Amino acid sequence: MPSRRDLLKLSAAAGVAALLPACAQVARRLPKREVPEDLTPRLASAPAKRLLDRAAFGPRPGEVAQVEAQGLENWLEAQLTEKASEDLRLKAQLMRLDVLRNEGMELRDIPEDIMLRQLNQAAILRACYSENQLFERMVDLWSNHFNIYARKGLASYRKAEDEKEVIRKHALGKFPDMLRASARSPAMLAYLDNQFSNKGAPNENYARELLELHTMGVDGGYTQRDVREVARCFTGWSIGRGLLHKGAFRFSSDDHDVGEKIVLGNRIPPGGGVEDGQKVLDILAARPETASFVAGKLCRHFLGDPQHAMRPRLAAIYSGSGGDIKAMLRTLLLSEDLLAGLPVAKRPFDYLVSAIRATGAETDASQPLQQHLTKMGQSLYEWPMPDGYPDGAAPWTGSLLARWNFAIALADGQIRGTDTQVAELMDRTGELTPAAAAEALIHQRPPSPAKIKPATAQEAIALTLAAPEFQWR
Amino acid sequence: MALERDWYACDGKGHAEVPAPRVTPSVSRRGLITGAGLGAISWLGASSSLAQLTVGQGGGNHDVLVSIFLRGGMDGLNAVVPYADDHYHRARPVLRVGAPNDSKAAERAIDLDGFFGLNPALAPLLPLYRDGELALIHACGSGDQTRSHFEAMNTMERGLNGVSEGSSSGWLARHLVGTPRERATPLRAVAFGRTTPDALRGATESIVLETLDDFRLDIEQPREAGVLAALKDLYAEGGDPLTHAGRETLQVLDSLNRLDPKSYRPSAGAYPDSDLGRALKQVAFLVKADVGLEVACVDKGGWDTHYGQNLAGLLTGLLDDLAKSMAAFAADLGPHLRKTTVVVQTEFGRRLRENQSLGTDHGRGSVMFVMGGSAVGGKVYGKWPGLSDAQLDEVGDLRVTTDYRAVLAEVLDMRMSPAQGSGVFDGNVGPPLGLIG
Repeated sequence: MPSRRDLLKLSAAAGVAALLPACAQVARRLPKREVPEDLTPRLASAPAKRLLDRAAFGPRPGEVAQVEAQGLENWLEAQLTEKASEDLRLKAQLMRLDVLRNEGMELRDIPEDIMLRQLNQAAILRACYSENQLFERMVDLWSNHFNIYARKGLASYRKAEDEKEVIRKHALGKFPDMLRASARSPAMLAYLDNQFSNKGAPNENYARELLELHTMGVDGGYTQRDVREVARCFTGWSIGRGLLHKGAFRFSSDDHDVGEKIVLGNRIPPGGGVEDGQKVLDILAARPETASFVAGKLCRHFLGDPQHAMRPRLAAIYSGSGGDIKAMLRTLLLSEDLLAGLPVAKRPFDYLVSAIRATGAETDASQPLQQHLTKMGQSLYEWPMPDGYPDGAAPWTGSLLARWNFAIALADGQIRGTDTQVAELMDRTGELTPAAAAEALIHQRPPSPAKIKPATAQEAIALTLAAPEFQWR
Repeated sequence: MALERDWYACDGKGHAEVPAPRVTPSVSRRGLITGAGLGAISWLGASSSLAQLTVGQGGGNHDVLVSIFLRGGMDGLNAVVPYADDHYHRARPVLRVGAPNDSKAAERAIDLDGFFGLNPALAPLLPLYRDGELALIHACGSGDQTRSHFEAMNTMERGLNGVSEGSSSGWLARHLVGTPRERATPLRAVAFGRTTPDALRGATESIVLETLDDFRLDIEQPREAGVLAALKDLYAEGGDPLTHAGRETLQVLDSLNRLDPKSYRPSAGAYPDSDLGRALKQVAFLVKADVGLEVACVDKGGWDTHYGQNLAGLLTGLLDDLAKSMAAFAADLGPHLRKTTVVVQTEFGRRLRENQSLGTDHGRGSVMFVMGGSAVGGKVYGKWPGLSDAQLDEVGDLRVTTDYRAVLAEVLDMRMSPAQGSGVFDGNVGPPLGLIG
């Protein structure tokens, strides 16, 4: 029985429909590896492009040459240390969003769906157009690390503040600072049910996820007893109600369990207050397991493998620098492993943003664009579990049709609120064949020109964005 | 999740948005029958090659699980009637469905087992019941006491028992995540509707379709073939999961194109011209098209019968559609029914005592249905708690004696090849009822 591959090759000319059998008798080989070895040669691109793909959300037209001229180290250092002010256009777009302008309580009249839409809008706009690309990528990473499901309770009204005070404040700062801010975040406390945790009935949800997902990881070696003790330490970490406290963090000493606690072998003496929880955060932030877990997250996101050989080195940098994210990134982002290693799969958010950037499209990131992201399965802040959207290729295999439809709609200029200006792009690239134009614009060697013969520039761009190569970074 | 406005007729928590009118039987309440529909799909008359497909191709070692959620709170007491219980008749002088031999009743139940009877509107399900392919579970529900549509639906779709804590992910999502299959099909889990149901949240493998028409390359006809051909070339080689999935997706697109859902005709029976009928017809199509469908979610709303439950065929219309759609589905599947399990549930039942508007208010226990080739049907399962004042709960509702999760867990365990300790349901759901054999 010929393999599916043979069938497809044979049938290219004849028309596939005639040859594909209706039944599932054809053997399906499970892919043995996550990474596209076959694609690797085609994806072995200039280091500057690789860096823009990994550290940023992909290059804009002309940006690869710019970074090459500037020098990779210089570009990266600027990304790490300088905070470029947002361009006026992006600022104006963000200013229009209630979710960024108003405080939690003032937003209460706005329906939850609109809140979610605006939160998505802000994130997409920033990822597409901010000059602080590495910063925005880290915001995406940490927002998933400290995931909050915006549809639970009032989370959609609290998430913007969490994004500002927890994620955006510390994304390129020190991990322990971000951890401490997260523990006080009303959005997080409500999401993980800590707001009513009290000495009579300590709630273990936050404590468990703090250990399992935020710091040490499920294999970190903590015990169920530790979870319970940590929960006791966080009793009273709550959200203020009433005019005075207005939904802000509030420590309720009445609810706090003042007994002695032992957390991971550390004795927390009786009679403590809010400092009990603070001590736990200090302990956890300093653990080598946390250093390793955080290093693993970075390896997963930037190298495609949470168990990558670089992990111990990054963990050591964490431990030696008090959890300095920049220090870890400096080593990681200019490493040979990253610049010349295997490709990493793009999640839908990555894919969508990289496509907007690659084509130089101008978007208001409104509902028509967000619809595509939703169909791909990654509408932001809508992942119900605290572990955040999955990374890797396997979880996202169902999103391909949605990606293809997005690519077609984008290239055709069919997304309301998004302007692709293909004609202008063609002007810029001059008299090239559609396929070559696509290459010039998207810095990918387009899929073998002999195989596809796009009739128009739009089609060339659509196919380039839909091709396997563009699903990886 | 956002509640569709046509699922319920109150403010969501059982309170009338305007003062409930006192209803006298002569007033027509046709306006109560809500239920905005999906666009009509015209099914053309051409015959379908699907009728020739035989069972047992691909499929794997698990069933197709079809989850039908009746939104609004189905009145289980009038669906599967405890006609032998006097309290029922006394509490519902107008709304009651009479015993099979009750000459004075407006409607008479079809006897099932000497105690329970089927609402006559559910008659199309009777043959399936008698053939052992339909099991009924009464006094079934969750521990949720809020009697709020939103809370109760949320609880059930997350597979919880009524505490507000617990995973925000859906029970079907946890099943999907816990049982990775070899086949990377894009149509593993399909919800027919406009938004992802809560039961599927937390699984990247589910998609939402209003109709199967939505699962296609969104491009005009003349260009479609060329782009599809180009994509086939682009995805022809490569062993990584994404390229592999690309080929799978293209094959599914191809199957759907060739087999043409629009011209599909059921191999037996006739579906009602309703949203539910259309949705189930498409599920049947997918089952026969062998595209790797494992979970299908379908909704039917309008069950929130606070006013005039038996006027203008309100409840009977709903039951009629449900029964005809399910019967048509079973008939259409034919031998495929052996590897299909349908579960029907509702967020809560309705109060025993009829209200002043000749309707019923939010209750607790209701009826679940399990239909499939492996069902041990022909029986009403569950421990009947009784309807005397002492036997009802504090508010006057039918007590829940079977945790709805016991039913779902048994279906998953027996028919869906779950991984060891898949952890779909937390805590003790109670022993299996023996309704899958």
